[in-house]
Amino acid sequence: MSDNFQKILNVRNLTNSTFVLEIEKNGMIFEPGQHILLGKAGDIHHREYSIYSGVDDPSLEVLVKEVEEGDVSKKLKRLKSNDEVEIQGPLGFFTIEEEFLNGDSSFLFISSGTGISPFHSMVKSIPGLNYKLLHGIRTIDEAYEKDQYDPDRYIACTSRDNNGDFHGRVTDYIKSHDIDKNTHCYLCGNFEMIRDAMDLLEEKGIAQDHLHAEVYF
Amino acid sequence: MKYHIVQLGCQMNISDGERVKEVMERLGFESTDDESEASLLGVIACSVRQKAIDKVYSKIQKWNKWKNKKNLITFVTGCVLPADRLKFLKTFDMVFPMSELPQFPEMIQQYGIVSPAGLMSIDRGLQEMEKPVLNIKNEAAFQLKGIKFPEKKKGVFHPEKGIEDFWHITPHYGSGFEAFIPIQNGCNKFCSFCAVPYTRGREVSRPSGEIMNELKYLVEKGYKSITLLGQNVNSYGLDKKGKEVSFASLLEMIGEFGNSSGKDFWVYFTSPHPRDMTEEVIEVISRYKCLAKQIHLPIQSGDNEVLVRMNRKHTVDQYRKIVNSIRRLIPQATLFTDIIVGFTGETEDQLENTRKAIEEFKYNMAYIAQYSVRPGAASSRWVDDIPKDEKKRRYHLLTDELMKHSHEYNKNLIGKTMDVLVRGKDRKQGYLSALTEGKIIVRFPSDNTELIGSFVKVKVESAAPFSTEGKMII
Repeated sequence: MSDNFQKILNVRNLTNSTFVLEIEKNGMIFEPGQHILLGKAGDIHHREYSIYSGVDDPSLEVLVKEVEEGDVSKKLKRLKSNDEVEIQGPLGFFTIEEEFLNGDSSFLFISSGTGISPFHSMVKSIPGLNYKLLHGIRTIDEAYEKDQYDPDRYIACTSRDNNGDFHGRVTDYIKSHDIDKNTHCYLCGNFEMIRDAMDLLEEKGIAQDHLHAEVYF
Repeated sequence: MKYHIVQLGCQMNISDGERVKEVMERLGFESTDDESEASLLGVIACSVRQKAIDKVYSKIQKWNKWKNKKNLITFVTGCVLPADRLKFLKTFDMVFPMSELPQFPEMIQQYGIVSPAGLMSIDRGLQEMEKPVLNIKNEAAFQLKGIKFPEKKKGVFHPEKGIEDFWHITPHYGSGFEAFIPIQNGCNKFCSFCAVPYTRGREVSRPSGEIMNELKYLVEKGYKSITLLGQNVNSYGLDKKGKEVSFASLLEMIGEFGNSSGKDFWVYFTSPHPRDMTEEVIEVISRYKCLAKQIHLPIQSGDNEVLVRMNRKHTVDQYRKIVNSIRRLIPQATLFTDIIVGFTGETEDQLENTRKAIEEFKYNMAYIAQYSVRPGAASSRWVDDIPKDEKKRRYHLLTDELMKHSHEYNKNLIGKTMDVLVRGKDRKQGYLSALTEGKIIVRFPSDNTELIGSFVKVKVESAAPFSTEGKMII
């Protein structure tokens, strides 16, 4: 595990409040789906952020949404290139087991907001992944870097406008579509979405050992 | 010159406290239970509950008032959240993570204290101090030469850094027959109700050679009950994959030593995380006599949704598979657990699932805690929405369920003769209190305090939900 002060290489602003920090990688080896502890260099507060970049990308990326009362995200929002952050990691277990990748496994990734981050890393890191990605967002401008996914596999579920691929929440999408019982379902985002989606998936006959969740707090 | 330590929190803090005491005493300070006669006052803090941290604030207010009248040095160490650390820096003389304990003599020198007597002359200032001469009884165990204060990188707190040096300190064991051996520190799991990942930092495993040395030393000294400690004790070795043995292999090494030692002793471990509990670990425990047949396996909730919200990273079904393995491979094992009741958003149905889990797994003991917000933990951002009285009701409901099963188990012990370790006088006059290998309390009539710390045989004659009573077999 590395534990470092690392420089910010670039900041990509995606919306007024959401941005991608590109950070020096310094040789960090991680599995797609893992997270890091991240904070402004010298600050006492750190938070867990899923790694957004692929395992072979030259820099380490995290997708951050500024939270009004946040101890960390507000400070990260003010950082620029060459500023330093402190990183610990990689950490976490929200990864795809090797055995699932053998054969013709299919994956359903269900996310809300910045919960798309670990799936972005998985899709970039694992070539030929047979996935469908549901992204629960309010409006289409929150479809962060949607061009980086196969358009046939990415489904923006927009609850407040009609400009997505599906109008409604991810749970509405799950309710109205058939899901193969052998699908490995990975969920990431706020707890309420995960809870409701898990209940629906279980009702549809997905076994518990095919359900994997990472809650964002 | 005397020191007084206020020790708060869990077994890990108790174990850490044994090393703190050793450092104080090697410096020549004497322990006192009376804080008013101490010159060195310290707190081993716990951040699990706000109540414990409030106690630290209350202590330091009092101690700082005493400073007007006498020379005192105060310190705080242990589990401290970064935000509290900043506040403590303004009120305590020294604030340091446990991992920096080996540098305590140097820290205290900065106050001009080179020996306990130095506290008498603190107000004369540093200029009168002579070359430091520390009262170190065993330099091999407590190296001072070459110690430097770590570079404080922009005030960032790294509680796990230097923990290996901390483990080199020989502890001042609190008992002559029961001991803790820390084997792992820190946590990478980030359960949403817990602040430990922020107070103790990342998982670090202690070298297996050191663990074995400490264990062999204790067994040679006649210790009978040894507990391997860690925040995620069975994550042992995962931070040093390929460079250190696994937890199962460590237990195997201990088991082999137990077989060859010719001594009787029991080795326990706490607390494991279900995620890292392998069948190999259970199988190793089943094979070796010295590995106690008692498993503490925290479930926290019997409901999958609550487990997700707690960020426990296991389901009830995964937990069930581990318990099934324990029952198959070690049928005689007792099973203990931890449960949090009244967690944010817990519904009646979810509570019922926890009750069903107690019914299914038939625990011998469950440490049931009514949920309270841990400042710094992720769940502290959620509304604590279950009223106190309701938590209490749920607590009693689960306790009643637990008692049914523990009582049933204990009743089945009636008529059996058990090997027990005598731990001390019982509250019941004229009785001694002991524990079976499975940590079931057995009390028996005897005034012979010389039995304390030894194994005896007791025939169980009666049973209560959480204890039994019997007669010693000579």
